[in-house]
Amino acid sequence: MTLDASATRIEVRAPGPRLPMGRKLTWNWLGVAPFFLFAFLFLIGPVLYLVAGAFQNADGAFTFDNIIALGSPNIVASFSLSIRLSLLSALMGAVTGLLLAQAVILGGLPVWVRTAFTTFSGVASNFAGVPLAFAFIATLGRLGLVTVLLRDLFGINLYASGFNLFSFFGLSLVYLYFQLPLMFLIIAPALDGLKREWREAAEILGASRRQYWQLVGLPVLTPTILGCFLLLFANAFGTLATVYALVGSGFDVVPIVLFQQIRGNVLYNPNLGYALALGMVVIMGVSNTLYLLLRNRAERWQK
Amino acid sequence: MKTRFPLAAVLTALFAASFFIVPLIATFYFSLKMTRGELGFAAYASVFNSAAFLNTILYSTVASLIAILIGAIIIVPTAYWVRLKVPKLRPVVEFVSLLPLIVPPVVLVFGYIRLFGSNSWLPLTASTFGTDILLVVGYVVLSMPYMFRAVDNGMAAIDITTLTEAAESLGASRLRTITAVIFPNVRAAIISGAFLTFSISLGEFVLASLLNRPAFGPYLVQLGQDRAYEPAALAIMSFGFTWGCMVLMQLFATRKPGQRWLPRLFTRPAQRS
Amino acid sequence: MTLNTQKVLMITTALAVAAGSAAQAQTADMDALIAAAKAEGTLTTIALPHDWCNYGAVIEGFKAKYGLEVNELNPNAGSGDEIEAIKANKDNTGPQAPDVIDVGLSFGPAAKAEGLIQPYKVSTWDSIPESAKDAEGYWYGDYYGVLAMAVNKDVVTDASPASFADLKDPKYAAMVAIPGDPRTGNSSMMSVYAMGLAANGGKGGADAATAGIAFLKDLKASGNFVDVGGSAQNFAQGTTPIMMDWDYNVLAMRDKLAGNPPMDVVIPSDGVIAGVYVQAISAYAPHPNAAKLWMEYLYSDEGQLGWLSGYCHPIRFNDMVARGVIPAEMMAKLPPADGYAKAVFPTLDEQGAAKAVVAETWATEMGAN
Repeated sequence: MTLDASATRIEVRAPGPRLPMGRKLTWNWLGVAPFFLFAFLFLIGPVLYLVAGAFQNADGAFTFDNIIALGSPNIVASFSLSIRLSLLSALMGAVTGLLLAQAVILGGLPVWVRTAFTTFSGVASNFAGVPLAFAFIATLGRLGLVTVLLRDLFGINLYASGFNLFSFFGLSLVYLYFQLPLMFLIIAPALDGLKREWREAAEILGASRRQYWQLVGLPVLTPTILGCFLLLFANAFGTLATVYALVGSGFDVVPIVLFQQIRGNVLYNPNLGYALALGMVVIMGVSNTLYLLLRNRAERWQK
Repeated sequence: MKTRFPLAAVLTALFAASFFIVPLIATFYFSLKMTRGELGFAAYASVFNSAAFLNTILYSTVASLIAILIGAIIIVPTAYWVRLKVPKLRPVVEFVSLLPLIVPPVVLVFGYIRLFGSNSWLPLTASTFGTDILLVVGYVVLSMPYMFRAVDNGMAAIDITTLTEAAESLGASRLRTITAVIFPNVRAAIISGAFLTFSISLGEFVLASLLNRPAFGPYLVQLGQDRAYEPAALAIMSFGFTWGCMVLMQLFATRKPGQRWLPRLFTRPAQRS
Repeated sequence: MTLNTQKVLMITTALAVAAGSAAQAQTADMDALIAAAKAEGTLTTIALPHDWCNYGAVIEGFKAKYGLEVNELNPNAGSGDEIEAIKANKDNTGPQAPDVIDVGLSFGPAAKAEGLIQPYKVSTWDSIPESAKDAEGYWYGDYYGVLAMAVNKDVVTDASPASFADLKDPKYAAMVAIPGDPRTGNSSMMSVYAMGLAANGGKGGADAATAGIAFLKDLKASGNFVDVGGSAQNFAQGTTPIMMDWDYNVLAMRDKLAGNPPMDVVIPSDGVIAGVYVQAISAYAPHPNAAKLWMEYLYSDEGQLGWLSGYCHPIRFNDMVARGVIPAEMMAKLPPADGYAKAVFPTLDEQGAAKAVVAETWATEMGAN
C-alpha cells in the first residue's frame, strides 16, 4: 500500500522544451495583453485623472489636504458605516443566493423554474436606484401595500412593532433585492460543476445530505463563494442611487459623501470627492488581498 | 436517487419568488392609479405617446448586445489564460475587474471626454460613430466585474487543464481550443454575464447622457422627472422588456441542435451537464 | 431761423439720427448674431429638466424661432456637474461640451474665478437688477422662486400648515420632508435655511443654518420628520405628504398631478426665502454665437415669459410688470404677491456661511453616521 501511494505521488510531467524563464513568461504575458490594453485605455486612464485630482486642490496645486481630510471624524464614520453595511449586505446576499441556487438548480425542481429564476435575476440584479427605492416604499413604507394589508387584514401594526424601512436593517433588506439575484447568477455555473458522481459516491459511503454539503460540497465551493462575496461587497460598497433615494440625508455612506462633493449643488470640493474615491479603491485593494489569502487557504487541496 | 417531493426546495423557491414579486406588484398597483378613483393604464398610454420610446429602446438594445459580444471576446480568453498560464497575474486581473464598481460613472465619462476628446490623440468624440464606440466600451467596462466573476466561476467548475491538454493532443491550435472547447463549456457562465451586461447597459444613464447619445436611460429619466405615476409605469415596462429579452437570449443560447424551442413543463432534470 | 433754434434743431436732429442708428446698430448686431448662430447650427445645454421653469417650452420656442438644434445633456446634473463638464470638455468641441450653464448663485463667481466662463451683456442688460449680476457681465441671474410647501390633501385631511412653526403640531406625525440631502441639493439646503430663519426671527447666515438644523432635529425627535427625499412620486404615494421645494416646482407638480392627489401650495408665513440661479456662457463653448443668441432669447420678453409660464419669477419681473407686458391669466396663476413681498434673498456670504455650518454639523446632529 505504501509503495503504491508513494509511486502514485511521483508526478509525471510531459517533457517540454527547455526555455529560459524569461522567454516563457513573455509569450504568456501576450495572452493577457488585450485585456490590459483595454483596461489601461478605458478604465485605468480615467482612474488616473481621479488619482491626480485627489492630490490637487482647487487651483491645481499639489497638496495632501484632501488625503488628510479623509481622516476627519465625519469621513471615518462614513467609511465605517459603508463597510458595515456592505459586509452585512454581502453576507445576506451570499447566504440567501447560495440557498436559492442550491434549491433551484440541485433541488429537483423542473427546468423551467431555473430558467425563470435565471432570467429574472438578470433583470433584478440591476433593479436599483429610484425605482427600487420606490418599489420598497410602496411595499413596506408607512403607507405601503404590505403595511396597509397587515394592518387591515391581520391587525399587525408593522411600524409600531419597531420595524422601520428607513433604517440600517431596512436598507440592507432593499440591497438584498439586487444582491440575491447577483449571487444566484454568479454561483450557478459553479453549482453546475458539482459533479453528480460525487453526490452518488457520498451516498454510497453513507453520508447524509448535511455531511455531503459539509465535507464535500461547501469545501469545493468555498473559493468560488469567497469570490462572489467579494463581488457582492464591492457592489454594495459602490451603491449610491438606492441609498439616496431611500433614506435621503440619513445615511452617510461613502458614495453619498462623494456625491455631495462632486454634484456640488451645495458643497463643492471635487478634489475631496476624488480623494474619497481613492479611499474606496484602497479599501477594495485591502478586501481583495484578504480574499486572496482566504482563497489560497481554501484552494490548498486543489493542485 | 430518492424521488421524494422536494419540499425544502419548493418552499425556498416560493419564498424567494414572493420577495421578488411583491415590490413589483406594489409598483404596478401604484402605476395603475394615475386616473383618480379608478385603476387604469393611463400612465402607460402617456409613456407610449412619446415617439422617442421605440427609438431609444432600440438603440440601447443594439448597444447592449454589442457590449456583450465585446465583453465576452475580451474576458473569456483572459480568464482562461490567467487560470491556465499566468496564475500569478490572477490577483491583478481580479482587482482591475472590480474597479468599475468603485469608480463613479461620472468620473469615468469625464475621463473619457478628456482622453478621447476632439483635440486628443484619438478623437472619438468628434464623430457620432466614435462616440457610439465610446459608449459601448463604457458599457463593457461597467459590466466587467460581473462578466469576469461569472466566467471565472464557470472556469473553476470545469477542468480547463485537462480539456486544454486533450485538445492540444488532438492537434488543436490555441485559438481553436478557446473557440471550440472552452467557449461552449462555459456557455452558461457567459450567459449569466451576458444577462448582467444587458440589464446594466439598457438602463445606464450617466454615460449616455453626458456623451449625448439617444439611449434608453436618459429617456427614462427625462420622462420620469417630477412625475408620479409614469416612472412606476416605465419601471414595470422596462423590467418586462428586459426580462423578455433575457428569455429570448436564454432560448437561443442554450439550444442544442435539434432541440425543442420551448421546454417541457414539469420534467425532472434528466441531465445536468 | 435764429441761431438758438438752429442749434436746437441741429442737436435734436443729431440725437434723432444717433438714436435711430443706435436702434439700427442694435438690429444689425442682432441680425449678425442670428446669422453667425445659424452658421454654427447647434447649441449644447446641460442640466435643464423640461419641467423646471418650463424649460421644455422655452427650448422648443428657441428652436422654432431660430431653427437651431439643441443638444440637451444630463438634465439631472447639479451645478457642480455643470462646472465639471466645462472643465472636462476644455479641448473637446464635440456635442458633449456644454455651451451654456444654469447654476446656483454661488457658482457664478466661482466659475469666473476659475476662468471657465466668458462675459456677455444681453441687450436687455440694464433691466436686470444690480444685485443679481456680475458687473463685468460674466454671470447674470435668470429667475428666482421662493420656498413653498406642498401638502397632499388625501393624507393631510385637516387644515394644512400655514407656517414652519405649524409643522411641530403632532397631527403631522411622519409627514414632513425636504427634497433630499441639504449637502447635495440646493432646495434642501434652502429649506433648512428658511426653517432656521423662521425659528430665530430673521437672523441669516450661519445662525439660520444652526437654527434650521435644530428645528429639524426637533421634528425628527417628535416623529414629524420623514427622512425620505420628497419627490413627486413619494408625495403622491403618501410617504412625504408635506414636502418643501421651490414654488415653481411645487406648482408645476400640482399641474401635472392634476388633482390626483389634490394638493395645497403654501408659502410659509414665517420665513420666505428666495433663491436665484444664474446663467453663464462657457469660455470653451464650441458654439459661442449660438450661446449668445440663446441668452438674447432668454432675456427677451418672450423668453422671460416662458419661464413665468413655468411659475418661475424671471429676473426682469419687476421691469416687465411696470411695462405691463405680462398677460393677466399668467399673473392670476401665480400665488398672491404679498407672499413674495417679504421674500429674503440670502447674500453670497450668508449662503456660504450657512453651507459651512451644514457641512460640519448635519451628520452629527441628524445622526447620519
